[in-house]
Amino acid sequence: MMPPDTVARYPHDAAASVATYHVSAAGGGPGSRAHIAGLIWTLIRTDFKVRYHGTMGGFVWALLKPVSMFVVLLVVFSFIFAPTDPSYRPNLILGLFLWEFFAEGTKMGLVSLFAKGYLLTKTRFPRWIVVATSTSNAAITLLVFTIAILLYLAWAGRFPSPSRLLLFIGYEIEMWMIVLGFALVTSVLYPRYRDLNHLWDAISQAGFFVAPIIFPIQILPESLQPYLYLWPPTPVIEFARQVLIQGTTPSLEANLLLLVAALAILAIGVVVFQRHAPRAAEHL
Amino acid sequence: MAEPVIEVRDIFKSFRIPSVRRETVREHVLGFFPSPRVETLHVLRQVSLEVHHGETVGIMGRNGSGKSTLLKILCGIYEADAGSVIVRAPVIPILELGVGWNPELNAVDNVMILGTILGMTLSEARTSIAEILAFAGLEKFANLDVKYFSSGMAARLAYSVAFKAVRDILVLDEIFAVGDAGFKVRCEERYRSLSAAGCTVILVSHDPATISTFCDRALLLEGGRVVMSDTGEKVAEAYLNVSSSVADDGAFG
Repeated sequence: MMPPDTVARYPHDAAASVATYHVSAAGGGPGSRAHIAGLIWTLIRTDFKVRYHGTMGGFVWALLKPVSMFVVLLVVFSFIFAPTDPSYRPNLILGLFLWEFFAEGTKMGLVSLFAKGYLLTKTRFPRWIVVATSTSNAAITLLVFTIAILLYLAWAGRFPSPSRLLLFIGYEIEMWMIVLGFALVTSVLYPRYRDLNHLWDAISQAGFFVAPIIFPIQILPESLQPYLYLWPPTPVIEFARQVLIQGTTPSLEANLLLLVAALAILAIGVVVFQRHAPRAAEHL
Repeated sequence: MAEPVIEVRDIFKSFRIPSVRRETVREHVLGFFPSPRVETLHVLRQVSLEVHHGETVGIMGRNGSGKSTLLKILCGIYEADAGSVIVRAPVIPILELGVGWNPELNAVDNVMILGTILGMTLSEARTSIAEILAFAGLEKFANLDVKYFSSGMAARLAYSVAFKAVRDILVLDEIFAVGDAGFKVRCEERYRSLSAAGCTVILVSHDPATISTFCDRALLLEGGRVVMSDTGEKVAEAYLNVSSSVADDGAFG
């Protein structure tokens, strides 16, 4: 007789409509920690290889987009804002890279299940891995940028204190939770609604201008500013600027609010994903 | 008697086929017009099945009888609408003549993806690459992108990975239908060694010889129902009768 924890059940009657899958985690084998870790690593590595042809030279292209946008925007907007705000340039580059992570991560996440449909329709494995690993290329770009900006700050003698550095890393993790939340929802809806990517492109484009990336939030009327914080990337970008560029720390309440918002978005993503993922393969 | 490794109880599966399929947000939002007529296609009706450890069970049936859907439900790829499926061991499927490949990656990387997807750990997949490529007869093409592979080469590679990854239950759709004579012999040898080692196998085939040779018992599906459950030989014979009678009636084009 098999041990009970190797039992997989797919009960689908009126009383129980949620599929569950339990596989023994003892030793190797499907579902074990070693297996899941290997699967995640393999998907990240091969996605990177496909995207950048397996070379660091190819990786330069990932950095080129935000850097070129930075240069263009710097040239255009420095004339408007720079005279009044000396930290405009570092704010701009930080905002751009955090935004790029959000935009790229959600874009890749949205199509992830559909793009990996050739695997989903052939075997069963934890579907969330496909969505999570699809954000890896965007995360690698952000990681490289983070190292670069920290090196720059160290060189300029403005390296953040350990607590602010930890907060900054926390904000990046919260941004990843937000990206993952959006990606989990859209990835299971995309196979049913094939124009969702166009809709998301439009939302993302509008969101770029809602988030205070190219303009300082202070130029807006004070009554309007809180509304911008309803767009999840806004607080992440603003708080990251405070701890890294301005050398101040957002209040405890603000930090907790952002953490709760990020957790809520991720939780919604998980709930929607769990509900729709078991039938996603039928729409591919 | 030990519990069956696969226990299927009264499963139903249907697909809703709209006359005009709405696949976009725009079509749903702007759906002022009456909803398109939806037909329900009942693919499986109250199908039950028990498979015990070490058994080889065949499934036969004409096209559209529900074989592939049943396999996908057994493998957890599709959800049944009603009923229950209990699987007490990891399942390794080979469906639709091979598993998908990423055409932009070479054979080694694709083997790593498929191997880990099918439940191998990273080290197991790494150490198995040479053996998998040798089994498929593709050692010389290890670093070639899969987009340059012929369909036969790609299918051989898929079979080789699955044969290596299998632990307890192997689900095969049209085994021995790919590859040259040498590969078929290797498949049959590997299949026999897996069976001797106590692996449970579910085998779908249109070939009566395959079912009667390899299967302890078999099912015949017709219109989404199990119409016969008997030895492989008897089911293969019944399948031939069903197929030929329908052909005589002119149902096949």
